[in-house]
Amino acid sequence: MLPCKPIIKRISLFLFTLVALFLTTDIAAQDGKVLYQTNCQICHSLDKNLTGPALRGFLERGPWGDREELYKWVHNPAAYLATSDYASQLKNQYGTIMQAFPQLTNEEIDAIAEYVATAPPPGGTPTGGPVPEGAPDNSNRNSIFFGILSLILAVIALILMQVNSNLKKLSDDKENIRRPDPVPFYRNKIYIAMFAMVFFVVGGYYLAKGAIKLGRDKGYMPEQPIYYSHKVHAGINQISCLYCHGSAMESKHAAIPSVNTCMNCHKAISSYEKGPQLYTEDGREVDGTAEIAKLYKYAGFDPARPNDWDPAKAKPVEWIKIHNLPDHVYFNHSQHVKAGNVQCQTCHGPIQDMDVVSQFSELSMGWCVNCHRETKVNFYNEGDSTGNKFYSIYEKFHNDLASGKMDSVTVSDIGGTECQKCHY
Amino acid sequence: MKKSFIAAGIITMGIVAIGCGGGDDTRNNAYMPDMAYSRAYETYTMSAEKIAELQKQGIFYNTMPVEGTIARGEMEPYYISNDTTGYAQSSSVQDPLPEMDETYYKEAERLYLVNCAVCHGSKLDGNGPLWKGGDGPYPAAPRNLLDDYSKGLSDGTMYHVITYGKGLMGSYAHQVNPKQRWMLVKYMRSIQSGSKPAATDSTAAAATGNGTVTSDSAAMAAPATN
Repeated sequence: MLPCKPIIKRISLFLFTLVALFLTTDIAAQDGKVLYQTNCQICHSLDKNLTGPALRGFLERGPWGDREELYKWVHNPAAYLATSDYASQLKNQYGTIMQAFPQLTNEEIDAIAEYVATAPPPGGTPTGGPVPEGAPDNSNRNSIFFGILSLILAVIALILMQVNSNLKKLSDDKENIRRPDPVPFYRNKIYIAMFAMVFFVVGGYYLAKGAIKLGRDKGYMPEQPIYYSHKVHAGINQISCLYCHGSAMESKHAAIPSVNTCMNCHKAISSYEKGPQLYTEDGREVDGTAEIAKLYKYAGFDPARPNDWDPAKAKPVEWIKIHNLPDHVYFNHSQHVKAGNVQCQTCHGPIQDMDVVSQFSELSMGWCVNCHRETKVNFYNEGDSTGNKFYSIYEKFHNDLASGKMDSVTVSDIGGTECQKCHY
Repeated sequence: MKKSFIAAGIITMGIVAIGCGGGDDTRNNAYMPDMAYSRAYETYTMSAEKIAELQKQGIFYNTMPVEGTIARGEMEPYYISNDTTGYAQSSSVQDPLPEMDETYYKEAERLYLVNCAVCHGSKLDGNGPLWKGGDGPYPAAPRNLLDDYSKGLSDGTMYHVITYGKGLMGSYAHQVNPKQRWMLVKYMRSIQSGSKPAATDSTAAAATGNGTVTSDSAAMAAPATN
């Protein structure tokens, strides 16, 4: 019995150290992750060369297998640079030298190396498969179906009428009643009058509809040089409309962003991985990564050599203008967006849900005037200091509002439907 | 004779009906194309080919402002160059703007939320919608503007970085003008130090919406509202 105790003691000690060992390595890796996230990932990614090289497997590269060398480098890159060919080669490749991290202890650097060596590889499950398409629009198919049905019925009715007249003729012949020869249907005045009326109504309807559509492009959806999805950028990734179209606040135009604006993010984002599968309007699959490659072609950017990029050599992407007003109408974005506080979506529709942009509004004069009649102006309110001081010049309306003579002022009231406001 | 008239009528009617209705990827015809489509050169209509065409006629058209000129109301240009010496020099550049009042602060906040928050986060914590703690599409973590490194930067260096970019961040010189850049620096400083101009809280800024685009839609929720 006696020798048992030490054995149990030894085993429990062994188990304890084992558990402790597991725990400590785990804690080190955990710490490493946090340290990596706070210190490294601003410039480094695990699998992608960014400002600095991809870190996965760095212990096998250059002199970094020797931890002493690694500590020296991290604590003072500038001093280490002079002593190492590998480091100066890196500097040439990336055009910049790493920031010094003198505050990191050797153990912390070990922890980071541990995390980088054990970090799970990328990939896994892509978020969100292809989004199931909504039920196809049936209304068009229905109208075709009813059209065919009424045509068939009309033909049957015609045949029956002919049969009826023939039978009548036969019975008349039998009973020897003499009647004038029946007129063929294309000479029959009733038929001609009916046909003319139908033709007049249907033809007139299409003619009027076609004439109204002249010069209007609601639903215009051209194919752009690059498949750019507003849904991915403005919807999923929540980039403000004004990030790219900022001049809507300041000028007549809501400017089309320069290639430079695209490259602010796409210098680093070279592949489309995390969003849903994209489709063109006619259902073809779109390869987002290939579309980003098109942008690189315009920008003259080589993702393998990001430091050689010269923005001055970029060529503009020639986007096709969709929302276009005739030359004889003046429209100013800043007037509507800044002074009027109108949302982008009011005229351009739910742009954050559109993969392919189409013209949402009629952009006809009636559409403009209607909005000017209905929209209330946001007058400045002294009481709670809300509203827009821009309109303070309309003194009479302010007085009328204060005395209760009017309950609200529309754009039309302040001259928004005067001809020369837009046509001059 | 009569029949041929009717037939001709039907055919013209058909052509008119088809001709007016453009498809999804073509524009409809206009009543008077000369009036609808400008003959004068408008923004974005000057392609390289058009400029070359004009040059053949002896007209030299340039879309760039004349070198050495400054737009009215514009601040003096920033002469420090985009390299390591320029970066070092920038720390001595002084912020030329006076202290922000409430209106300026609101505008600066708007500028920050539109241009910066998408990466650096609306709280300046480096966790904007493009990074989302590593779930967003951006491969590198944006700088946490509240960390000691950012707090230690001088105003001039922050201005320099907005102007020329640093690391993965691109130049924002074409998106925010010099005055707006200084306003952004001031805004970041005020959040870093936790001091705001008096009588400004986020609810008031959201309610007035004077000059800002506020939206309840998902697209603009993060950057454009408070």
